Amino acid sequence: MKPSQRLNEPMGLLIDRNKPVQFKFENQLVSGYAGDSIASALIANQSWLMSRSFKYHRPRGPLTMAGQDANTLIQLGGEPNVLADRQNISQDIQVRGQNYNGSLENDKDAVLGYFGRFMPVGFYYRSFFKPLGAWKKWEGVIRDKAGLGVLDLNFKPEYYDKKYLFADLVVVGSGPAGLAAALKAADAGATVILVEEQTILGGSLTYNRFDIEGKKAQTLRHELLTRVTEHPNIQVMTDAVCNAWFTDNYLPVIQGKRMYKIRAKECILASGAYEQHVVFRNNDLPGVIMCSAATRLIKHYAVKPGNKAVVLTGNDEGYYTALDLLEQGIEVAAIVDMRAQAQDPILFASVAEKGISIKQGATVYEALATKGNKHIKGVDIRQITGKGQVADTAELIDCDLLCMSAGFMPAYQILCQAGAKLSYDDAAAEFNLSGLPAHLYIAGSVNGIYSLDAVLKDGEKAASEALNSLGLSTEPVADVNCDKKVNYDWPIFSHPKGKDFVDYDEDLQAKDIVNATRLGYRDIQLVKRFSTVGMGPSQGRHSALPTARLVANATDRSVTETGVTTARPPFAPEKLAHLAGRIFDPYQRTPMHYRHLELGAKMIPAGHWQRPAYYGGAGERDKCIQLEADHVRNKVGLIDVSTLGGIELRGPDAAEFMNRIYTFGFLKQPVGKTRYAVLTNEHGVVIDDGVACRIADDHFYVTATTSGVTRVYREMTKWNAMWRLDVDILNVTSAFSAVNLAGPDSRKVLEKLAPEFDASADAFPYLAYRETNIQGIPARLLRVGFVGELGYEIHVPAQYGEALWDLIMQAGKAFQIKPFGVETQRLLRLEKGHIIVSQDTDGMSHPGELSLGWAVNRKKPFFVGCRSVDIMMAKPMKRKLVGFRLPADSAKPEEGHLVIEQGEVTGNITSCEYSPAVKAIIGMAFAGIEQSEPGSKIGIRVDGKMLQAEVVSLPFYDPKNSRQEL
Amino acid sequence: MKILTCPLNGPRNISEFVYGGEVKDMPDPNTCSDKAWADYVFYHDNLIQIVKEWWLHAPSGYWFIAERHTASDEIIKTYDPSEIYNTRIEFSTQQEERA
Amino acid sequence: MNMSDTQPSLKRSLLYRTTTGEHYKQQDGGMLVAQFSANDAEQAKRCGLLDLSVARRTGLRGKNAPSVLSEHLPGMANTSVIQANFAEQLSTGEWVLRLGKTEYWVLSSLTGTNASLDALDQAASQTADCYPLYCQSSHAWFVLTGDYISEVMAKLCAVDLNERVFPVGKIAQTSVARVNAIVVKQTYQGIPAFSILSDSSSAEYLWLAILDAMQEFNGQAIGADVLTV
Repeated sequence: MKPSQRLNEPMGLLIDRNKPVQFKFENQLVSGYAGDSIASALIANQSWLMSRSFKYHRPRGPLTMAGQDANTLIQLGGEPNVLADRQNISQDIQVRGQNYNGSLENDKDAVLGYFGRFMPVGFYYRSFFKPLGAWKKWEGVIRDKAGLGVLDLNFKPEYYDKKYLFADLVVVGSGPAGLAAALKAADAGATVILVEEQTILGGSLTYNRFDIEGKKAQTLRHELLTRVTEHPNIQVMTDAVCNAWFTDNYLPVIQGKRMYKIRAKECILASGAYEQHVVFRNNDLPGVIMCSAATRLIKHYAVKPGNKAVVLTGNDEGYYTALDLLEQGIEVAAIVDMRAQAQDPILFASVAEKGISIKQGATVYEALATKGNKHIKGVDIRQITGKGQVADTAELIDCDLLCMSAGFMPAYQILCQAGAKLSYDDAAAEFNLSGLPAHLYIAGSVNGIYSLDAVLKDGEKAASEALNSLGLSTEPVADVNCDKKVNYDWPIFSHPKGKDFVDYDEDLQAKDIVNATRLGYRDIQLVKRFSTVGMGPSQGRHSALPTARLVANATDRSVTETGVTTARPPFAPEKLAHLAGRIFDPYQRTPMHYRHLELGAKMIPAGHWQRPAYYGGAGERDKCIQLEADHVRNKVGLIDVSTLGGIELRGPDAAEFMNRIYTFGFLKQPVGKTRYAVLTNEHGVVIDDGVACRIADDHFYVTATTSGVTRVYREMTKWNAMWRLDVDILNVTSAFSAVNLAGPDSRKVLEKLAPEFDASADAFPYLAYRETNIQGIPARLLRVGFVGELGYEIHVPAQYGEALWDLIMQAGKAFQIKPFGVETQRLLRLEKGHIIVSQDTDGMSHPGELSLGWAVNRKKPFFVGCRSVDIMMAKPMKRKLVGFRLPADSAKPEEGHLVIEQGEVTGNITSCEYSPAVKAIIGMAFAGIEQSEPGSKIGIRVDGKMLQAEVVSLPFYDPKNSRQEL
Repeated sequence: MKILTCPLNGPRNISEFVYGGEVKDMPDPNTCSDKAWADYVFYHDNLIQIVKEWWLHAPSGYWFIAERHTASDEIIKTYDPSEIYNTRIEFSTQQEERA
Repeated sequence: MNMSDTQPSLKRSLLYRTTTGEHYKQQDGGMLVAQFSANDAEQAKRCGLLDLSVARRTGLRGKNAPSVLSEHLPGMANTSVIQANFAEQLSTGEWVLRLGKTEYWVLSSLTGTNASLDALDQAASQTADCYPLYCQSSHAWFVLTGDYISEVMAKLCAVDLNERVFPVGKIAQTSVARVNAIVVKQTYQGIPAFSILSDSSSAEYLWLAILDAMQEFNGQAIGADVLTV
């Protein structure tokens, strides 16, 4: 490649000429300077071709030089779809083009270009539907041919994260409007964050020419920047993309490997406007660029974009561009002005004075290409004879650069997310944004203001509005007007041979859009879905307007009537890493957690908690569970039940409150006793259960299920916000750590553990509650029977939990104590027919279905859900939770398997396990009411086969409950 | 993300809050008709208007009431429930509890 | 040295395995890292994190909580001077946090015997309409110190905790790394600090999440001595 030749300073704002950088593009060495983008370095080396287009594999080079188009998507090492005009070069990076077969220069699939007529508009849309199977046939070919970039499957994870930022005001965009707004607000005392997508501040001041002399922008930028960078109230973020607007000015801003979540009281969007292309044949050739792309190349990178240029314009900006080109020694062969005359006669005269040929009321009808469509080599210029119509006679001019500007469209995308409406005046070719939410303002070209003085005023106006809202000013806000016209109303010149691109990303031509309307897709959203226009990486920044114009024209409507396609977040493509970085995934641990690990427990999740399922290897589940269960039934076991919910109710109305919340009666529950507590919701459905301990007349301690306690606590506090009872409700789940010490020898262990405590059956009978001190640890003791053996729940303050576990294991050594896990506990309670709410119940289960009628007191005036329970219990029951058994050698049903009666589903299995104590497969299931009596048979479908199980009465084990009452 | 102003904790991300349903009066469960009860349990007016809703600030466990417009989603005001519920609510006694 | 080797007490922080240091000391019946490394003083000023979970604290609420506080906590003359979600340090060193209309927490001064806290608990349990809270057990207590504390918290929490809007004495009951927490702005020995009180069962998770957020600022664990001696 040729050596890099650069323009003289002060051109090249972004590059550091003292720092040469070399990298490889398509395995060729390329030289550039620090600060160069990949695209600028390549163009400096006369290399325009960066990618191949999506459908036709046409050669493509940069269009905007601002990261707004998809023509510069390249492969950077293992990372696909990097924007070459946004990504800076660094030493030795490896860059490749994308979407080609063979080499970028000689793409075998460019031949597809000639098959374009076999892939008409709507090809994808239709292939998905019919004929049936067409998509299957095409998918492989299309995936292969249409794929962009290559993923590196051997990537190394990198650290991405997120951070909040807070400010009184965030200003998005640091062009003249943004800078003026930020300064005014900061001067008045507001804290300001200024967000800029590019690497330097200044926006259009860095590349645009605002006067004939070409001095104004530079002087003004220097002045504003000095003040902004020195201002203590302004935090500047460059190379930062504001990717969305969410309610109440919540703005995700991506900078490097971090996503900032900015929360601002006020927000000013000074996001500027996108220069628009002209639709004509071959408008996608490398060397056909926006006017602003040419001036960016010159002023940002000191790169000469060509030697002989033609400027095609629909506004006065093209004249300024011609002056910029001329100043840098680029021959301007012609200015082709689509308008009959320029708006600013002085500008026109001074350009004409320089000897530039100006063709008014004319357009470029076709760009002429070098071999293989690699670059522009000339233009075919015609007089415009009507809307989109041109004369037959052509003037051909040689050139290697075509700069175009059909006008500017406001960067409305983020505003659209905020609910603003974009309207367009067809006659005046002007946009208007309305319907902004409170605390969001716009300024500058996004607001349709283009002359520099007015833009600065508009920025200050927006700042005043924000300051007034912040209470930092009471200044009256005056409207800003600007009569500068920038849009040409019909910059579309369809060519019979096509390749007049409306959408570069999707290779869509003018006729493709018109054809979509002819097929009946009148709605702009349907046109988008059918044709895929605007769906590419540039998200309609350039295609939205010509599409709207074409659809409006083809359907005899105005652009305002057709509207433009909706813009949704994200504004620019974002990496999943930005969303996934530093995701918070809280977990909870009981104080005994590490003891379980030391004992070889197989841990399973229980909500945010981890609990031991059983102690042993993953492959030994059944054996471990049966051994553990056997040990609890015959000796003594210990299980960590710290995850159990706990709620304390204290105060004169504690009993009254319990009585209203739970189904049972609690007013007369004796102190020192526990009582089973069932909770129904207002629908009468059982939603939780637990054990209520009456510690004192005015003090209850009630347990709740691990997964249910948060909800139960919230319900309780909400009810009392209405009832105003004199009771304090406290969630003590994490305050207590607990174990269940269970088995025939558990009393002996307890006696050894707390010798002072009278654990005899008389002093501490079944269902009693006691408090004691275990070797210095204050403990609450509950005599419970959940697993059906003599057993004690011991609850202690969480900071003593691990010590308690150790003390019990030590005291239990003499009795061969063994820990048991949750799965074992599930088996043990199943043998006793005890339900687990939310496992053996569902969203419809009322107390009657669960045979919990005994736990419902209907003599009391009220409990939550009482009326619904009454209504449901009065109706004939359709199903019931029953116990069933199957022979030990039968296939084992799993939870969720269906219970079927005469072809009708009547219920499902809720729990099922092999019971070593019963020596059969036992379980619980919802069954039709006709099959619910003991002795009935229920049909269970297991792996497609029907089993007949016998309904039996509960419990399966120790029906007289004598073991737990010892 | 929307901001909701908690009367106790001030303006916070809505993700700190839990919705608790509309504020509505419970008919007397001992005397109302089945239909009135079903209306209370299952039906919502779902009108375009300002509604009173229960919201919980989860980190502090504080319930309050918010008045919100169902179309604009604007939160008009938030306040402590005692502004509506200021007296102890009693339920009529059917019969003395036995057990 | 691993703290589990030197863990004779029954009372343990739920993350004593995770928080290890060079020297330990007895604190309120449990073991505490006294010194994490010789660099603690520098580290605390820059960006340090300390687990004070075993240190004494208590809480009470109810209609009579304010009167119990002013009667039984020396230095707490008038509870009404503290607004909800504000905290005040007493002349005796304790921090009194007001978390709601009638809810107060008291954090130990870390130096004394905490006799006043014991007396307070005693009184609370014997007074009608005054209910002791179990924040010693239900919550872990961390202290994040140094110049970067609000930067660290901005990576974990959606509330603006910058000095400008969140001065010493302010409290935020909020979500930190998606777990509920009480964040109190304080100073210890002139070093800016946040006390973070959060569910004890997720203490290990939160500790690691905060340490991770601190990496960027060369943050590290510290021992308690730099805050008290």
